[in-house]
Amino acid sequence: MEVDIRNRPSFANLMVQLEPGDRIIAEAGAMASMSSNVEISTRWSGGMSKAIVKRVFGSESLFVNEFSTSSPGHVVLTQPFPGDMVCTELTGNTLFLQPGAFIACEPGVTLGLGWAGLRSLIAREGLFRLKVSGHGRVWFGAYGAIFTREVQDEYIVDTGHLVAYEPTIAIRVGLVGGIFSSFFSGEGVITRVQGQGKIYMQSRSFSGLAAWTNTHLY
Amino acid sequence: MIDSNPTFRGGLFHADLPDGRSGASIKLTRTELVAEALCEGQPQFAIPLNECQLDLGGASGKMVFCRNADRSLTIFSEDPSFVAAVAQSAYGTLEAQFRSLRARRRGEANRFRVGVVAATLAFALVCVGVYFGVLAAARTAVRALPIRIDEQIGEMAIQSLVPEPRLDADHPATLLAHEIVQQLQPHAAIPEMNFRVLVVASDEVNAFALPGGQMVVYTGLLKKAESPEQIAGVIAHEMSHATLRHGLQGVSQSLGIVAAVQFLVGDLGGLVSIGSQLAQKSILTSYSRTAETEADLEGARMLHEAGIDPVAMAEFFALLEAEVGDIPDVAAWISTHPQHAQRVEDIRRLLQGLPKKQYRSLDLDLKATQQALQ
Repeated sequence: MEVDIRNRPSFANLMVQLEPGDRIIAEAGAMASMSSNVEISTRWSGGMSKAIVKRVFGSESLFVNEFSTSSPGHVVLTQPFPGDMVCTELTGNTLFLQPGAFIACEPGVTLGLGWAGLRSLIAREGLFRLKVSGHGRVWFGAYGAIFTREVQDEYIVDTGHLVAYEPTIAIRVGLVGGIFSSFFSGEGVITRVQGQGKIYMQSRSFSGLAAWTNTHLY
Repeated sequence: MIDSNPTFRGGLFHADLPDGRSGASIKLTRTELVAEALCEGQPQFAIPLNECQLDLGGASGKMVFCRNADRSLTIFSEDPSFVAAVAQSAYGTLEAQFRSLRARRRGEANRFRVGVVAATLAFALVCVGVYFGVLAAARTAVRALPIRIDEQIGEMAIQSLVPEPRLDADHPATLLAHEIVQQLQPHAAIPEMNFRVLVVASDEVNAFALPGGQMVVYTGLLKKAESPEQIAGVIAHEMSHATLRHGLQGVSQSLGIVAAVQFLVGDLGGLVSIGSQLAQKSILTSYSRTAETEADLEGARMLHEAGIDPVAMAEFFALLEAEVGDIPDVAAWISTHPQHAQRVEDIRRLLQGLPKKQYRSLDLDLKATQQALQ
């Protein structure tokens, strides 16, 4: 199965070339177009109860679609907001995705929901996080461009910019400086990522867009 | 030999791996920690236990990291039995490292809890401060606004808040209420306010004032009263709500609190608009305990100035309270009002401070009005 990320970085979408026997699992609603011979089957995202929990707490869809074909064809997958997408290959390791980031994965990948905790909620990263593990490729998207960093000890990310991270990374909430500079620097609460592992960040944040839009409403 | 040892799921970091990482199957021998990468080729990596440096962390805070001396290789697992197995291995040489790590982790967790509690308390304090600040600011701001605004709000509210049927302007009950208003008006705090009274045909014992001087009296209240002075007491109380501008204060305080909540918490959107619609009547026509006490005292002052015994107002409250048990409708008016004993005492204390006066009785035929209402 050949997957090409096209129109990067602003309006990235996945061009998935399916050969007979290939399967790809995608977030419900991600399909933009596909060959008429490609078959689509819809199922609960990891069972009904888990799907409901994911929908309520992880902002993910209740359902996932599986695309397969008996003759060559293609599927185009997109995300609802402008921004880049990346592919990462899991080799028995795990990755945590922020709610809404997941786009597609190969059948060997398991989608689960993990408790992220109060710290994550304060950091505006949600109380739960999507956990992808197993073997295979995973595609996920972000608002704006995606950049990565191999954290060795500690790194600081503004809240709302963290897209994905490895479970070896600990998330801590902190103030950027003292009380005064934290509230008047425009940075406020920040996320401290600690430990060893890779983090994926987005160059724009939804809260930033919302705040900017708010100031132009009246 | 190695295969007889327990296996744990985990992962490893090493520069030779694709992307520098992989999931791993970890085994613990007597002398080494061996990790077999789950990527292609399944390469093996090992750390001698005697040079193993431990760390606790990860997203869950419970992940154990084992690193070699030059930190080029990291093997990690979150499996609970892995922690116990590593601690007991190498004849307990790693036990001490574990103990200090756990103590450090507990300290961090405690500090976080203390931080959360402190932040919650600080937030609550700010909320309380903002709440009372807004109330005080609203009171001051309302006094600076022209009376015309009260009147406009009152006009708008009449249609939606005053129930039907309403008695005609020439009905004896309306005339009686109007006459009382006429007699009290010169003694109101804002005599030029456009005081008007509507009488609603309903057995409910109720009366309320809208901003701007519009008052509403229910026939149930007129029937219940034992003297015209008691009705004058209720009307003086309601006129005081209008002159003290409690309605507008309620509106501005509610708006101010909504604005403050939005500032603190963010946009509440739909919830607030639904809430404000539900609260419309209660904001305009029912007041806080403090506002009720203010209206009692101001009403008593007006009655005193007009030469009517303010004790009549207290008497009417007593009459209502005595009957609350039997007639549920009475509860409507008295429910938002302060304790009877307290308000009678407040009125008496106020009278002690005022010059003694010979009170007159109102020359109004309440009995005839009550008969007309039958």
